[in-house]
Amino acid sequence: MSSGSSPLRNRLPYAAPRFAQAALERARLTVVPRTRRSRAPRVPFVTFVSVILLAGVVGLLLFNTSMQQASFRETALETQATDLSAQQEALEMDLQALREPQRVARSAQQMGMVIPSTPAGVLDLRTGKVTGDPVPASAEDSIPLQMPAPSKPEELRTSDSTRARTGGAPTAVR
Amino acid sequence: MSRPTIRRQHGRLQRVPRGNPQRRMGIGFLLIAIVLSVFAARLVQLQGVDPRSYAQMAAAEGSRIVALPATRGEILDRNGELLAETVDGRMIIANPVVTAPVAAELATYLARRLGVDYIETLERLRAEGSQFEYIARRVPASKAEKVVADIAERFKDDKDRPFTGLSTERDPLRIYPNDDVAANVLGFLGENGKEGDEAAVVGLAGLEDSFDAWLSGRDGEARYEVGAGNQIPLGDNTVTPAVDGKNLTLTLDRDLQFYAQRVLQQTVVNAAGESGIAIIMDSRTGDLLALADYPSYDASNPRDYPEELYKSSALSDVYEPGSVEKVLTISSLVDAGLGAKEQHFRVPGQLNRQDRPIGDYWEHGTLRLTLAGILAKSSNVGTVLAADQFDRGQLRSYLTDFGLGSRTGLGLGGESKGILPDGPDWTSQVGDRIAFGQSLSVNAVQMVTAINTVANGGVRVDPSIIQGSASTDEGATVGSGSATTRRVISEEAAQETMLMMERVVDPEAGVAGRAQVPGYRVAGKTGTAQRVVDGVYDGSTSVSFAGFAPADDPRFTIYVVVHRPRAGSGGGSTAGPAFAKLMSYTLRRYGVPPTGTRPNQTPVEW
Repeated sequence: MSSGSSPLRNRLPYAAPRFAQAALERARLTVVPRTRRSRAPRVPFVTFVSVILLAGVVGLLLFNTSMQQASFRETALETQATDLSAQQEALEMDLQALREPQRVARSAQQMGMVIPSTPAGVLDLRTGKVTGDPVPASAEDSIPLQMPAPSKPEELRTSDSTRARTGGAPTAVR
Repeated sequence: MSRPTIRRQHGRLQRVPRGNPQRRMGIGFLLIAIVLSVFAARLVQLQGVDPRSYAQMAAAEGSRIVALPATRGEILDRNGELLAETVDGRMIIANPVVTAPVAAELATYLARRLGVDYIETLERLRAEGSQFEYIARRVPASKAEKVVADIAERFKDDKDRPFTGLSTERDPLRIYPNDDVAANVLGFLGENGKEGDEAAVVGLAGLEDSFDAWLSGRDGEARYEVGAGNQIPLGDNTVTPAVDGKNLTLTLDRDLQFYAQRVLQQTVVNAAGESGIAIIMDSRTGDLLALADYPSYDASNPRDYPEELYKSSALSDVYEPGSVEKVLTISSLVDAGLGAKEQHFRVPGQLNRQDRPIGDYWEHGTLRLTLAGILAKSSNVGTVLAADQFDRGQLRSYLTDFGLGSRTGLGLGGESKGILPDGPDWTSQVGDRIAFGQSLSVNAVQMVTAINTVANGGVRVDPSIIQGSASTDEGATVGSGSATTRRVISEEAAQETMLMMERVVDPEAGVAGRAQVPGYRVAGKTGTAQRVVDGVYDGSTSVSFAGFAPADDPRFTIYVVVHRPRAGSGGGSTAGPAFAKLMSYTLRRYGVPPTGTRPNQTPVEW
């Protein structure tokens, strides 16, 4: 294969690798020289790992604590919310009591107002004209404000019949 | 390949004799197999035999289950005013072991703050051998917590620790802010009378009862892990949310209901009557704007009243309607083409029929009345003569179409459907009496719906008390959203009947001048029916007035009934003025102007 038109050109490239190969072959078989163990500085590494560990533990602890804290706060806020909504309910109940038709009718009658059953005038908003023949209401139009008291005798009221039902507890307190 | 070399090296180093490697491996595997078998057996025991109880034990360890009670729906009137609501309430519980030493002082304080009975509270605070005594139930939450907190502060022990004798538990409180207004419709809540887990608070009357499932919703549950009273973050946490009850919106108008109840009360008391009913209906929609019963009860304190009152007598009590029913007879006649408002009748003072003579409430010789006159003067004899023109069964089929003899389906429990005789029971005598409103029984809602058919141009609209649609515990869907309509009589017949009914309130031509509403045209009809008590007419009566206004463009139909008024009371003189008051107020409240036309003057005699 070497006897070609340009022997020099052929020989040169092949000769060198052959040398190299032999050297390589020899080098492979040689015992690797004992390298001295590298004395990499240990301290920074240990510090680094410790810091990571410590940071992890402390972070976890802080995280947990803050979660707990949030949980405490949640409980406290929930209690507060319950209190506030109970307060709101109480206020709404007061408002309801004030708006009760009986109460409004009583106040109105105390001020001398009644619901009329006499003819009323009608004001037409389009023309601004009042039609009808309005007549002032009279005291005859007043209505009873309360319904009659229960007909059960006093002794039978509330306690006995309620006791059985509420396990002996008094009835609702308003 | 290289193993023998290594072994030889090791062997040379340790010089320990070893057994057969196969045997050693066998023993090793055997040991592993034994251990794994134990694990497997334990696994089967845990998972196969009774996994639930172990799972529960595991869950119970450190976990807490909290019931999430569903909030009961509110009941509102047509304008959104509250008729019934649930608020957060508390029960206050005493531990007599702790409270006994300070019982007297504590009872005084509790009596002052909560209005509980002093003696009773004292006994409870001193109860021996008990650690759990109710002091008060269904106290509004804010009040209960404040009282208990104040007491904890006030009754400190000698080491300055807060008092621990009282505690609170959740105890929802149902409130009826208007006490007796619409109580007959709303009903109330109470214990179902069962013990243990079955015990619950349920509706015991009215809508609270018939819509119990709709209103109450479904309770939920939260399950979470706790530590020191706080939820553990990231711990197991499952929540089944509560499904709150749905609200119920009624067609009632609270203020109108209040006024109707009070006017009815006044009317019944003034007539020395036993009971009464007043119903206000929107003519076009069939919505009941007021459904008043007297006597009624206070929904906030139902136990103070006898149980017979826990109902709506407008639905549950049936009675003979009397002359108000003549409107139905005569409008049917007109619709069948058998009558006209100026048709001439010779009406004798008495009519001798098979079993007994039929007479009018007033003595008269032979009168020459028109059909309008028969209605305006409320002549039984005239009505029977007019009804003679019906074919057999014709009147009954009209009355059935008007809705008599079948339930109205309002959604309130305990409705009686009344009696409309049928087949052999409808003898000619019975037919005669039914023509003027005796020998059949109706409830008041049926009757007002039938009269409203005339007001609504001959089309009957189902009455409704629920706005929209809601389903009752029995599964029926009721409400204005599912109300149906059907034509009973022609529009012309309804118009002609209205003209005749208008003559009833004419001070000269009719019998109920006091039912007039000044400024408005009113059409109506009086009724005075004999009452059947234990199967016989005992001489007592039910007087009533039903009508609508404005007559030429009806907006409201009102029906007032007074049972057992003092002798001599009539529908026109007793129920008429109450009708006028209610109609006048309702028209004004809803801003209905007078139509400006004049009442018709159809002749009543010829």
